[in-house]
Amino acid sequence: MNKYRDILRGLRLLSSIAAVLLMQGLISAPAYAQARIASLNLCMDQILLQWVAPERIVSVTWLSGEEHYRRAPLPEHVYLNRAQAEELLPLKPDLILTGQYGAQRASQRLDQLGLHVVRIPDAYNLAQLQQQLASLQQTLGALPELHQQRSKLQSLLDQAPEAAAGNPGALILSANNITYGDGMLEHELLTRAGFNNLAAQQGIQQLGRVSLEQVIALQPQLLVFYGSDQDFAIAHLAERHPVLRNYIDTGSVYRLPQELGFCPALAAVEVLQQLMEKRKEIVGQP
Amino acid sequence: MLANRKVILTLLACALPLAMLAALSSGPVSIDIPAAIVDGWYSDSSDAVILWQLRLPRAVLAILVGAALGLGGAAMQGMLRNPLAEPALLGVSSGAALAAILVLYYGAVSIGLVLPLLAILGALLAVASVWLLAGRGASASRLVLAGVAINAFLSALMALALNYAPSMFAMQEIVFWLLGSLANRGWDQVLLALPFVLIGALFLFFSRNYLRALSLGEASASSLGFGGRRYPLLVLFGIAFAVGSSVAVAGTIGFIGLVVPHLMRPLVGQDPGRLLWASALAGALLLLLADVLVLNTVGTQELRIGAVTAFIGAPFFFWLIVKGRREASL
Repeated sequence: MNKYRDILRGLRLLSSIAAVLLMQGLISAPAYAQARIASLNLCMDQILLQWVAPERIVSVTWLSGEEHYRRAPLPEHVYLNRAQAEELLPLKPDLILTGQYGAQRASQRLDQLGLHVVRIPDAYNLAQLQQQLASLQQTLGALPELHQQRSKLQSLLDQAPEAAAGNPGALILSANNITYGDGMLEHELLTRAGFNNLAAQQGIQQLGRVSLEQVIALQPQLLVFYGSDQDFAIAHLAERHPVLRNYIDTGSVYRLPQELGFCPALAAVEVLQQLMEKRKEIVGQP
Repeated sequence: MLANRKVILTLLACALPLAMLAALSSGPVSIDIPAAIVDGWYSDSSDAVILWQLRLPRAVLAILVGAALGLGGAAMQGMLRNPLAEPALLGVSSGAALAAILVLYYGAVSIGLVLPLLAILGALLAVASVWLLAGRGASASRLVLAGVAINAFLSALMALALNYAPSMFAMQEIVFWLLGSLANRGWDQVLLALPFVLIGALFLFFSRNYLRALSLGEASASSLGFGGRRYPLLVLFGIAFAVGSSVAVAGTIGFIGLVVPHLMRPLVGQDPGRLLWASALAGALLLLLADVLVLNTVGTQELRIGAVTAFIGAPFFFWLIVKGRREASL
């Protein structure tokens, strides 16, 4: 009889330990670690599709269904929304992610209806990118890829070379002859990788226009294109001009991935690393 | 009076090299032009590359496209005996633009030459459709009607393509193409357009006497030996080659084909044959000057040359209306 009592006591003890551990787990684990998540923002879509288990995603925006923006496989069960509140209500998501701008009405309406809407800040520079990643980690929990991305970014920023006048010059030539000056994430990535952004040196703040003449006159050591080179586009006509052939032939070019423009969280770390490697090639030293 | 006209035409001819000099001196970078000329074509110096590989092909392309549009406009007005006719009326520009839009729409082309070649094909197909729709021995008015129908259909297709553009990027591409531009063009575009513009000019040169005879009326032209389908086809395909290749490399640039023949007609004594070459000269000058204006405009976004020519064209029509009202009241 005592034997059974001991076993029962032991089982109670075990169950209470398990309950305590479970409670602790629930407290320390993110509130939405097991939740059904929806997104009203293209960048959040791509983050979810790349870093979160597919069964946890209930809906992403229709843009993520477009080949132009898709960076990760789209599970069949995921509903493609057009940022309408009535589309998300029947799906009953536990968490709705939205960006700083866009889908404001839908997110406000869903919030009023009692759904849990979390606004993740956009990233237009490296500090904001770090904030965005921290905010995502706080909301989604310690996802391995997210954690890895954060620590890798920090490590790269710690080893970034000092800004110096002798650093090689780089210039971004984007669609429709747009270039990126001071105050843009692209500028920060160039400078933190150890380049001098010639557009910023020309006094360009944010976005500016750079003609092929200016590219030739400024003689950057690295010419940076932006976006896909797969298809022909009038906007990228400048890239195909024969005067730039020398840059392409000598490998003095780098292409920023398109996703850096709409979701830097996915691309910034890799870009920074590749730009640092490119600098080593140009300067010829570690 | 005749001497005055000749003086004006000579002045126009002299103005072209001056405008060329202005175009070569215009740009966001200040260059030493004499030094760049001395350095020569093969030099690696920045000034030489800017002059020979960037500014010169752009200026030559402006001359080529302007001349083709002026020539096409004069031929169209001569053939249809309608001073409001322009290449767009018969769907030449729309045909080329639609073909270009479809290329941009599907964005599946990796070779840049495909777009201009398809645009030229689009212009030729549009003209062939107008010809087939108008039927054998069509009068000028029936050709205009057929042209308006084909042009309206092509414009509707373009609107549909814009409506269902696969992305904002594709939509922007289409809109910018419809506004025309000479930016970022090089010798490859010049060499692509040149043979087609020359073929078109040659066709129109051979039809100059037909256009002269046609100014007396279709019956008179027929009695003078210009009956049948050969000459109208020569004019139509001459316009399609010249204008289609221009649209193919520079996008749609409006008003040159409409305004320039108007301006030149009094200077050539209403002679449709001479109007062709005078319009080619004035078209080249006008587009080159419009491009000088574009080059000297500073801004984050490029000022599109089609917008500039539209701004030149619209006030011209206001002036025509005011002039007409003044003459009526006298």
